Amino acid sequence: MNDQQWNTLVSVVRGEVVSPLPTAFIIDSPWLPNWAGHTILDYFTDDRIFLDDNLKAMRAFPETIMLPGFWSEYGMCTEPSAFGSVSMWGEDEFPFAKKVLRSPLEVELLEKPNPRKHGLLPFVIKRLQHLQPEIEKAGHKIRFAVARGPLNIASFLMGTPEFLEAIKTHPELMHRLLDIVTDFLVEWIAYQREVFPTIDGIFLLDDIVGFVSRRDCEKFALPYLQRAYAADVTVKFFHNDAPCKASAPLLESAGINLLNFGTQHTVADMKSWTNNRIALMGNIPPRDVLADGTPEDVARSVTEMLNSLDDRSRLIVSCGGGMPPHAPTENIRALITTVEELTR
Amino acid sequence: MEKPIQDLSALRHAVIEGDVPASVTAARTALEEGVQPIDVISQGISPAMAEVGKLFEEGEYFVPELLMAARATKEIFVILRPLLAQAGSKPMAHVVLGTVQGDLHDIGKNLVAAMLEGGGFEVTDLGVDVPPETFIAAVKKRPVQIVGLSALLTTTMPAMKTTIEAFRAAGIREQIKIMVGGAPVTSKYAETIGADGYSETAAASVDLARRLVAAC
Repeated sequence: MNDQQWNTLVSVVRGEVVSPLPTAFIIDSPWLPNWAGHTILDYFTDDRIFLDDNLKAMRAFPETIMLPGFWSEYGMCTEPSAFGSVSMWGEDEFPFAKKVLRSPLEVELLEKPNPRKHGLLPFVIKRLQHLQPEIEKAGHKIRFAVARGPLNIASFLMGTPEFLEAIKTHPELMHRLLDIVTDFLVEWIAYQREVFPTIDGIFLLDDIVGFVSRRDCEKFALPYLQRAYAADVTVKFFHNDAPCKASAPLLESAGINLLNFGTQHTVADMKSWTNNRIALMGNIPPRDVLADGTPEDVARSVTEMLNSLDDRSRLIVSCGGGMPPHAPTENIRALITTVEELTR
Repeated sequence: MEKPIQDLSALRHAVIEGDVPASVTAARTALEEGVQPIDVISQGISPAMAEVGKLFEEGEYFVPELLMAARATKEIFVILRPLLAQAGSKPMAHVVLGTVQGDLHDIGKNLVAAMLEGGGFEVTDLGVDVPPETFIAAVKKRPVQIVGLSALLTTTMPAMKTTIEAFRAAGIREQIKIMVGGAPVTSKYAETIGADGYSETAAASVDLARRLVAAC
């Protein structure tokens, strides 16, 4: 992300009116390598492909903000690998992290990993360190510390159904698990900031927050999100494209000031539930419209969304979730162009 | 003596609350008092799971509540299954469920299994990462009316189509109805790949399965 894009992002988060409205997309392995002509496994294992694919997307759509920007990731395996989770890979498939806890009782045996040494985390850091000179030469900076959120990591360690059941059957052990995960997350975020002083944002992704009731969110999500986002940075970005009516009113108290949400809710509803205190990033349907629709479908969807809003502050137009697999160039272009035409 | 239907309210309440021990106790008590196993399902579990589904649709219940109700149902069926077999009771239909090949996610599939079982269906859960030949073998092994295919990933959705085509190639596609579901799946996609039905939520899968059985 270049300085101008970062400044635009910060302006929106602060509630300043930006014209034209900015557009942004979360880009990562589900979309980027295939779009750029590579397999997912090549993208993960070849630093050159990783850099070239990211730069290719940024150069193809220079008017839009690609978030978090040069996301050094290994799919869902990144953080679970530090806890000893086995990572499973396919040539062009999303990697999968096998669970490490066979029962809630095994939480007692879980140790907090060291983000400097464990799992794939040193690879995440080294990849970016190796590429940092070229990233900066291209006019970009590494802006975000990125991680999966505490409930998301916990659900990979235990299995999602098992974790969600255990918050009912073994609440104390699940708090213990979330404590360990969050202590680790805080250190992992601090380590990323230490290595890359240009970082001024935290980006956490946690769909599991959307699976629980408001009461469970207050007990099992909020305290841990508050700790994970406690560092003093300008942009605190959260992704949850599961339903978020229950969690949305709580997110500001976790410090979150930018939210990418799904298509279950309208922008107007989300503005209301967040009291327009959080900048929203959304929410054109990613699969049915952005990936599978025509450019005309995209333009129609964007127009409908913008026309439905009286207040366009704290809004970044994007899709409701990360960039979906196989979203074609012409549809992404249609989204950007339509927003520019309608909001200039 | 048969127990009056209203006495199953304790069972229904326990299932709706996701209270597993209370559900099992209520089921045992009902059986001891003479309630027929089939009535435990039709007057106890089915309406309870329907209420759970409704609460989920209304945003009152969330996934953990659904999972706990499903677990309560599952535990009751451990008691009921041998009794049903003994009594020669027939389920509404036999459903074979699985997450398609390449996909290791099971939450949606597990919820659908519980909802269907609660709705009076017999469910054979083939698990995750199920290749087409395993689905076919399950259908050939014993009578199956419905096959349910689940996928969470856009990259594994095509395995639904592959599985349906494999049924066709095996010459048994017309014997069964196929329902599909999962986060990235849409009704349009279901139609495109030749599925017979699509359910957006686990709760709605029971109605869909009933419609499919009626059309058999």
